[in-house]
Amino acid sequence: MKEKFHITGIKKILLTWHKHADLLETLNPARVLYGPLPKSAAGEKGQGLVDFFKQVSLFEDLTQGELRRLARILHERTYRDGEYIYEEGKPGTAMYIVRGGIVEIVRRRRNGEEVPLVTLEPPATLEELAVVGADVVHWTSALARGPVSLVAIGRPDLDALGRNFPLLANKILKKLAHIIAMRLQIVFEAEYFDEERSLNSDLPQ
Amino acid sequence: MTSRNDFSPAGMFYKSVMAAAGAIIAAYLLWKLRSLIVPIVVSSLIAYICHPLVIHLERHRVPRGLAIWLLLVMFVLAALFVANRVRSIMPSEIGALEFRIRAMYKINEGYKNLMGLDQSLTRGNWIYRLAHGELNPIADRTNRLLALTPEEHTQFLASRPHGPEAPAGSDHLLDYLRVNLQTLRVREPAALPETGAVSAAPPAVAQTPTPALKTPIATLGHILSTWIIAPVIFLFLLRDTGEIKRGLLRVVPNRLFEPALAVLADIDRALGDYMRGIFLECALLGLTVMLLLAIVGVPPRWAIAIGIFAGATNVIPYLGSAVALMGGLAYALLAEEIHPLLPLVNTENVAIWVIAAVGLAELLKSVFYEPLVLGGAVKLHPLVVVIGVVSGGILFDLAGVLLAIPMITVFKVFFSSTVRQLKAYGLI
Repeated sequence: MKEKFHITGIKKILLTWHKHADLLETLNPARVLYGPLPKSAAGEKGQGLVDFFKQVSLFEDLTQGELRRLARILHERTYRDGEYIYEEGKPGTAMYIVRGGIVEIVRRRRNGEEVPLVTLEPPATLEELAVVGADVVHWTSALARGPVSLVAIGRPDLDALGRNFPLLANKILKKLAHIIAMRLQIVFEAEYFDEERSLNSDLPQ
Repeated sequence: MTSRNDFSPAGMFYKSVMAAAGAIIAAYLLWKLRSLIVPIVVSSLIAYICHPLVIHLERHRVPRGLAIWLLLVMFVLAALFVANRVRSIMPSEIGALEFRIRAMYKINEGYKNLMGLDQSLTRGNWIYRLAHGELNPIADRTNRLLALTPEEHTQFLASRPHGPEAPAGSDHLLDYLRVNLQTLRVREPAALPETGAVSAAPPAVAQTPTPALKTPIATLGHILSTWIIAPVIFLFLLRDTGEIKRGLLRVVPNRLFEPALAVLADIDRALGDYMRGIFLECALLGLTVMLLLAIVGVPPRWAIAIGIFAGATNVIPYLGSAVALMGGLAYALLAEEIHPLLPLVNTENVAIWVIAAVGLAELLKSVFYEPLVLGGAVKLHPLVVVIGVVSGGILFDLAGVLLAIPMITVFKVFFSSTVRQLKAYGLI
């Protein structure tokens, strides 16, 4: 799975999305799909949910009041080591934000073997598609590696937010669309462009 | 790869036993505290209806606490307005006596005409011969219900402008009273004392002892002790910004989190659709009944009262139209004179026009209102509706009757959605 991704083709996209340029330093190319590496102790216990949200790129456009409102509708979940957070092939109703611990994303081969794709740390977000589309099916599984705490946003929660506080929901949805579109670009880049489109010739000096 | 969320058989057995014990305890508590269920459900439903209003105010930068208080003030004002309207249409004490005399006279006259009864009230047409065994006791019971007590009789006679000895024709209510007494004398002579003049003692049948009742203060105390909880729950539910839902989901195991989220969303959607739909349907039916009855000659204040009552009782399927029909026919039966907007209507045929008006209202409800406003809401089988309403009435009286359908709707959606989600997630 790892060899599918080509750092050189993706670099331009990451540079245009400047906040994630640091991902180029990672050794695992699949890591770029899930946001930046942890820079702070975002998952420390005892930290307020609103303070934690300030570090989540999905919520970077929200005001303090909006973050407080958001904190009132989200669900905090904890998982034991080895516990599934969600399973591949099952319907998706919620997206998650890693608040503490490490989450491993795996995908099953046809023979049933699970291939690790990436490990995620706070404040990574995962399964964003589940909250924006109907009839979404998880295309990977997520496993807790050690004790994990997550914040979950259900699709019904976001729907209700859209009805009751449309401006706030609109900010989140725009950001979600941005993230999903960027990931799509990265996947296309990795799939259709190889290393011949070299970094030196493509990037501005 | 084997799922790491599997449970051992021993663990599953332990959890099943615990769940069964929990269910039994919950059922026991539910039964013991059943008098609180109705206030809790009523206040919850009202809070559910009011929730969008609070959100709307909050969106326009009104603090949530202030929005709730504004809503409460609005409720109190609306309740005062309704109480005032009800008081204004309630007849005075003498008015109520006049109403009973007129009702008794009209009912007996109608019965006599329908059955073709002679002066002895014992021989009639074929309908009477066929059904007098069943109909006479009903007529007698109605007469006992409407007949005046001795005190009421004296009070009524004292109120007449021409005095109790007014000649026939000068006071039609006194004439009605004389006929009523005559009817009672013929139907149940043993029950009547020697009367002579109209001012004589009224029939003994009117003095049927009433069963011992609780004093009004005791009744009020009982109502307050159970219903005092309703405004508290209403306030707390409106104050809630998702804590209850999150609290419910917190106790759900991780592997059931997403299915539970979907089930709660399904219930919320179904209940919301039902409440909005039924509210609109009741309002439309009430307005239609009001308008049509006013057109056929029912005075506006009575048309409004019948329309409001028909709309409110339409929460129970089929009852709204039945109430409208009974109310309209009762007015048609008792009306001395009518002022219809349609020239074809008169006191002789107003009952037929009332039936036509209520029929048209029911037709509009079935053909236009229901598909329009209840299109997306949960459909219940008529048998489920009947059994549910009767069971609700047996368990929780009138409130149980009114709340049966919303509760059945919630349970139906809960079970169907749970099964659907558990299947989708491969858990059953």
